Amino acid sequence: MDRNQTLVYEPVEIEAFDFRRAMEEASRCLLCEDAPCSTACPSDTDPEKFIRSIRFKNVNGAAETIRESNILGASCALICPQEKLCEQACNRCGIDEPIQIGKLQQFAMEYERKLDKTYLSKTDTYIDKHVACIGAGPASLACAAELAKEGVEVTIFDENEKPGGMLRYEIPPYRLPDVVIEQDIRQLEKLGVKFELNHKVTIDEKEQMKNEYDAVFVGAGTWEAKKIDIPGINLEGVVNALDFLEQAKVSNGKSPSLGRVVIVGGGDVGMDCASTCKHLGADSIYDVFMETLKDAPATEKEKVESFKIGVPLISEFKPVEIIGDEKVEKVKFEHITNGSTMEMVADTVIMAVGQKTRQDAQYWNQRSDIFTGGDMVNGGDTVVQAVKEGKEAATKIINTTFKN
Amino acid sequence: MKKDLSIDFLGVHCENPFFLSSSPVCNNAEQIAKAFDAGWAGIFYKTVGIEGMNECSPRFDVLSDDPSSWSGFKNMEQISEMSLEQNVEEIKKLKENYPNKVLGISIMGSTEEEWRTLAKAVTEAGADLIELNFSCPQMTSHDMGSDVGQNPQLVSDYTRAVVESTHVPVIAKMTPNVAEMSDTAIAAANSGAKSVSAINTIKSITNIDIDNMTGKPVVNGKSSVSGYSGNAAKPIALRFITELAQCEDLKDVELSGIGGIETWQDALEFMLLGCRNVQVTTSVMQYGYRIVEDLISGLSHFMEERGVDHLDEIVGKAVNNIIPSEELDRSFMIIPKVDEDKCVGCARCYISCYDGSHQAIEWDNKTRTPKILEDKCVGCHLCINVCPVTDCITPGDIVFKDGQSNSRSEKEIAQQLVYL
Ligand SMILES: Cc1cc2nc3c(=O)[nH]c(=O)nc-3n(C[C@H](O)[C@H](O)[C@H](O)COP(=O)(O)O)c2cc1C
Ligand code: SF4
Ligand code: SF4
Ligand code: SF4
Repeated sequence: MDRNQTLVYEPVEIEAFDFRRAMEEASRCLLCEDAPCSTACPSDTDPEKFIRSIRFKNVNGAAETIRESNILGASCALICPQEKLCEQACNRCGIDEPIQIGKLQQFAMEYERKLDKTYLSKTDTYIDKHVACIGAGPASLACAAELAKEGVEVTIFDENEKPGGMLRYEIPPYRLPDVVIEQDIRQLEKLGVKFELNHKVTIDEKEQMKNEYDAVFVGAGTWEAKKIDIPGINLEGVVNALDFLEQAKVSNGKSPSLGRVVIVGGGDVGMDCASTCKHLGADSIYDVFMETLKDAPATEKEKVESFKIGVPLISEFKPVEIIGDEKVEKVKFEHITNGSTMEMVADTVIMAVGQKTRQDAQYWNQRSDIFTGGDMVNGGDTVVQAVKEGKEAATKIINTTFKN
Repeated sequence: MKKDLSIDFLGVHCENPFFLSSSPVCNNAEQIAKAFDAGWAGIFYKTVGIEGMNECSPRFDVLSDDPSSWSGFKNMEQISEMSLEQNVEEIKKLKENYPNKVLGISIMGSTEEEWRTLAKAVTEAGADLIELNFSCPQMTSHDMGSDVGQNPQLVSDYTRAVVESTHVPVIAKMTPNVAEMSDTAIAAANSGAKSVSAINTIKSITNIDIDNMTGKPVVNGKSSVSGYSGNAAKPIALRFITELAQCEDLKDVELSGIGGIETWQDALEFMLLGCRNVQVTTSVMQYGYRIVEDLISGLSHFMEERGVDHLDEIVGKAVNNIIPSEELDRSFMIIPKVDEDKCVGCARCYISCYDGSHQAIEWDNKTRTPKILEDKCVGCHLCINVCPVTDCITPGDIVFKDGQSNSRSEKEIAQQLVYL
C-alpha cells in the first residue's frame, strides 16, 4: 500500500469506500427523524434515506433513492460542497464529525456503475409530448430527465462535442473523472433522451423550435467571466479562469509551460486553477484574494487541499495593476485596509474573480413562452442548485403546458 | 422498485412476508396504524391475557460494542399491560380501519378455560390468525410462558382448547429454551396448530452490574434471568428453524421465522430455510417501523437480480443443503493467498494463525509482510476472517488431501466462498 498520494490530472476513478468502510460510516449515522441533512439538500437527494438503506445492507435501494431525485447523483457525490449543505446540517456534528455523506453517496453510485445498474424507468403519461432542452449542462440534464421519466420525448442541443456543460469543460478531471460524467449521461440515454451535439442553436432557431416542440427549455449556463478593469488586464499571459480550466481539460493536461503563476480569486474556481497548475507543472503558484482566509468563498476542503499541495494562499490583497509591455511581467496588489503594497513576478496570471450572467440570459429569462434554469438564471451557483432548478422547470412545463 | 412480494401464509393473503412480532411494537391500535402505513403486511398483536400485567422498571439491557447498534437486547417484560376487554376494543378498531392488513393476535392463558375465553374473544374481535404464546421466559406465573412451552403435554392440551374455540388458523410460538424444539412443535401440530413460529426470547443474563453485584437492568438492587433477542439471537433462531423445516412429522406445518431480523438479507435467510412469514421486534424497537422500507426494497432488488417472480420460488431452497457434519466433504483444503498490494502490514493474520490456529504464517518484520506456509496451513480461514482489509487475504489454491478428490472442479469449490 502506498502511503504517499501521487498527483494524477486525469485519474480513471477516485477512490471510493469499499463495503466495510461504507458500513462503518453508515453505522455512525444517527438515522434522524425529519433529518436536517435531507432538508439541506437542494435537489432532495435524501441522504437520511440512502444512508439508512446502506446501513441495512440495501445498496441497490440507496442508489435508487439517489437516482430518483438527482440525475447527476454520481457527479454531485464528488463535487457538491457538502460541508456547506448536508454535512453542515448533520446532527452528528453535535457529537463529533459529520457523517461523510458525499463518500457514502459515491459508494452507492460506484455500485451502480460497476454493476451497470438501471434504476430509473419511464411511464407513458406524456408519451406524445416533445421538448427541446438547449444546453447540455446540469439544469438542462435535470429538466430532461424529469420529463423523460414521464414519457416525454426530449432532445438536448449543445454547441460542444460532449454533453455535461461545465461538468465536462470546467471542473478538473481529478475532481470529477470522465467515467462519472458518462455514468450520469448514460442514465439519461437509458431514459431515451436524445443528444444533438456540436449544434449551436441560433436565436432564430429557438423561435422556430417553439413551434416544433411542445416546450423549450434554455439552460445555457453562464460561460462569461467577470472582468476587473485595471491597467494591463489585456496583456498577453493574463487569462480568465474558465478559459484556462477548459483549455487544460481539452488538452488533457498538456498545456504549454505556465512558468510562474499568480491566481487572483479565493473561490472554488480559484482553488481549482491552483491545483490544476500544480498538476500541469507550473514553476511556482500563488493564489491571492481580497477576502480574509475565513471569508474566501472556497470550501474549507478546497482551501486545505491547496495548503496540502503547497500553494500559498495570500488573503486581503486586491490587484491594482498588471505590469509589463505586451507580456505580463508583474502583478501589483494593494492591501484592502492597511495600505501595504506587493508586487509579484508572473508569467501567467489567472483571473478567477467570478462569472457573470451571459448577455442573452436576461432576454430568455424574461420570456414567458420559454423555460429557463441553472446558472443562466441564478448567475452561477452549485451544480446541485441547477439540478433543483431543472427539476422545477420540468414540473412547470408539465403543469402549465401539458395539463392545459 | 417494487416487486410483487405477496405470499400466502396459512391461506391468508399477505402483501409481503413482513410482520411485527408480538411485543411493545404492537401494543395498541394507534401505534399499529403507523406500522401499517409504513408498509408492514401484518402484525402479531402484543400477547393478550385475561388481566393486564404489572411490569418492573427499568426492564431492558443492551449488549453492544458500538452504541449505534445493539447486538443483543434483554427484556424483562411480560404480556400486555391492558386487560382482555381493552385489547378487544383496540383489535376491533384495527380490523375496521385496515381490512387488507393481516391481524395475528397473540394470546396466553394459564388454564384451558382461559385459553378458550381468549381465543373466542379475539376471534370475535376480528383476528385473522391466532398465535399461542408458549414461550415468554419471564412470566411471574409458572403456569404461563416458556415453562408451558417446554412441556409437550401442556402444549397439546392448550392448543386443542384454542383450536376448538376458533375457526381461524392457529400458530404455536415456541421457546428456544429447550434442547430440541420438534417434540413440542409436533405436540402443537398434532393438536391442530397449522403453523409454528420461532423463536421467542432466550433466557439470559446479559451483564452483571459490578457496583450493585446483580444483573442488569438493576431493579431496586436486584435483577432476573429473562429474554434475550436481537441480531445476536439470529443464529440460534435459524438453527431451530432448520430443525423444524427438516422434521418429517412437521412437513405440513407452515413456519414463521423470528429472531434478530434487521435487514432484507436476514429475512431472506429465514425464508430460504422454509419460512413463509417473518416477524420482527428488536430492530423495530431500535430503529422504528421505517426499517420495513429497506426490507421491501432490498428483497425486491434481490428478486429482480435473480429473476425471481414470486417468493414461493425461494421458500425452503436452503433446507436440503444443511446436512449432518459427518456428511460434509472433508477431502480438500483451500489455502488462502495474500494480496501484497492491499496488505497494510498489521500482522493480525500472523497473530491469529500462531496463537489460534496452526502457526502457518511466517512474519517478516523488516518488510512487515505475512507469508503463508502451504505445508503447515490447514485451510481454516481464521486469517481471512481477521484481516481488516477487504479482499486482502482471499481463498486461493484448492489442495486435495492425499489422493482424494470430489465431483466438483476446483473452480466450483472456490466460487462458493464469499467473504465481505
Ligand atoms: C420487549 C419485548 C417484549 C416482548 N413481548 C412479547 C410478547 O408479549 N409476546 C410474545 O410472544 N413475544 C414477545 N417478545 C418476543 C418477540 O416477539 C420475539 O419473539 C423476540 O424478541 C425475537 O425477535 P427479535 O430478535 O426480532 O426481537 C418480546 C420481545 C421483546 C424484546
Ligand atoms: S443529519 Fe447526519 S446523523 Fe442525522 S440522518 Fe443525516 S447524516 Fe445521519
Ligand atoms: S491481517 Fe491482512 S493486512 Fe494485516 S498483515 Fe495480515 S494480510 Fe496484511
Ligand atoms: S488458513 Fe488457517 S492455518 Fe492457514 S494461514 Fe490462515 S489461519 Fe493459518
